[in-house]
Amino acid sequence: MSQSYDRGLIEDFGRWREFSAGMWAWILHKFTGWVLIGYLFMHIAVLSTAIDAASGDPATYTDTIQGLESLLVVRVLEIGLLATAVFHILNGVRLLMVDLGVGLEAQDKSFYASLVVTGGIVVASVPTFLGGGVV
Amino acid sequence: MSTEQDEPTAETTTDADEAPAQTPGDRRREEKQARMQVTERERAEAAAAADETVQLKVFRFDPEVPEKEEPRFDDFHVPYVQGMTVLDALIYARDEFDSSLTFRHSCRQAVCGSDALFINGSQRLACKTQLSALDAPVRVEPLPHQDVVKDLVVDMEHFYDQMEAVEPYMQSEEFPEGELEEQRQSPENREKIKMSTRCIWCGACMSSCNIAAGDNEYLGPAAINKAYRFAMDEREEDDIKEHRMRIMEQEHGVWRCQTQFSCTEVCPKDIPLTEHIQELKREAVKSNLKFW
Amino acid sequence: MAERYSSFEPNGATWLLQRITAALLVVLLAFHFFQLHFLNHAYEVTFADTQARMEDPAYFATMVLFLVAAAFHGLNGIYNALVNQGIEGTRKTIAKYGLTLAGIVLVAQGIRVAMAMAGVTIS
Repeated sequence: MSQSYDRGLIEDFGRWREFSAGMWAWILHKFTGWVLIGYLFMHIAVLSTAIDAASGDPATYTDTIQGLESLLVVRVLEIGLLATAVFHILNGVRLLMVDLGVGLEAQDKSFYASLVVTGGIVVASVPTFLGGGVV
Repeated sequence: MSTEQDEPTAETTTDADEAPAQTPGDRRREEKQARMQVTERERAEAAAAADETVQLKVFRFDPEVPEKEEPRFDDFHVPYVQGMTVLDALIYARDEFDSSLTFRHSCRQAVCGSDALFINGSQRLACKTQLSALDAPVRVEPLPHQDVVKDLVVDMEHFYDQMEAVEPYMQSEEFPEGELEEQRQSPENREKIKMSTRCIWCGACMSSCNIAAGDNEYLGPAAINKAYRFAMDEREEDDIKEHRMRIMEQEHGVWRCQTQFSCTEVCPKDIPLTEHIQELKREAVKSNLKFW
Repeated sequence: MAERYSSFEPNGATWLLQRITAALLVVLLAFHFFQLHFLNHAYEVTFADTQARMEDPAYFATMVLFLVAAAFHGLNGIYNALVNQGIEGTRKTIAKYGLTLAGIVLVAQGIRVAMAMAGVTIS
């Protein structure tokens, strides 16, 4: 054997049309996970204004939060965050079931179900998220 | 073809009477030629009779020929016969069009596990994949995530290393009394490990696994299933099971499985690989909690 | 390897912890979202409201648990993703300690914030 040929990662995103339910679930779970941990760091950073607020000026905190909430972009992003969190929760429950060995034959159906339910919850929540004091 | 040999016996005896100068060797060669003409005619007829041909796009690579060092796809138009598998089509293409086309195959009935290929974007056994079930053109590639040696032949060394790593053999040291006594297994236990024993070492699962592709040290579905087959076998003693679990519990053992179900979906023997891996995870946690 | 089988394999332990925190977070995250977007609207949040909530020790403890669980689950998730990619050697060690440090900083800052909200001050 003189040499061989490394074809590299064949199942990359270029083949996304051929991905199965389990693969999509994994990709989305990972993606939403990254978003959520990123958000957690940001969330704590924003809430850190409470430290200044506690030492005398409550407006720092209230103004920061209400200022952010008055922006339409923030509201839209929050809907995105809700979608991300709800999907991660529902698919997470699906994964816990898989870990417990429950309903492995229906793993693709439960993935589609978590997508549909996520969509439903998000659509139903849009009025709540957009209502009240958007500039 | 061998069954055809007996047929002309009656005639040859008369031939031999009339022309005694003919040696048995001559006679054999003559017969062989006649047979080949028949098969060639049959083939030509079959090709003519076939209204349709199937287009195969086959991955080609040969490091020993400078012109073929650059991987490419070759088209083959194979006359379609009802019941034709991808392996049949490849054999036809090799025999009729390009004798340098290289691929592994042996039993042709999904037992030897040598012809796992990447067919239309999925790992399948060429011998049990019907052309009629595929969209044309049929794209045939070597198994992904393994080095290609030539054409459709991949280097299986790493796969075999992972299989060996789980010690895929019975290690029981307790033997029943009596010289000819068997090591018995209960029907229930046999049933439990039944699916896991069906592995034919084809490597389709390992090739489909996204994690095995990234983490080279990951044992992979086939090896873990092999370990399951022995760990769950009641004929092995507890300390051997513990030894097996210790191999499974390494960082690159069962924990790397992300339950994508890719392996379970491609397994040509329908082994519930993900289920077995999950059961080993729970088993590992349980036995640890018990000792803790 | 010299250690007994009975010593809990760290990989198995983190795997189990990842599932336990997951189950906790399902409840806590749903509660958190529900409370601060549906029960109370985010745009009406004021420091006084936040203070009132945080002064309840049970709520305070729940939020700290939430933070710790989320930090572990998230950062361990990232670490797992990196190992799945095949990260090895020095880079793996850096990732491990880097993520641990990030987790400690996150939790420390989070608790500081929560204490400020609850009106507890040290210093």
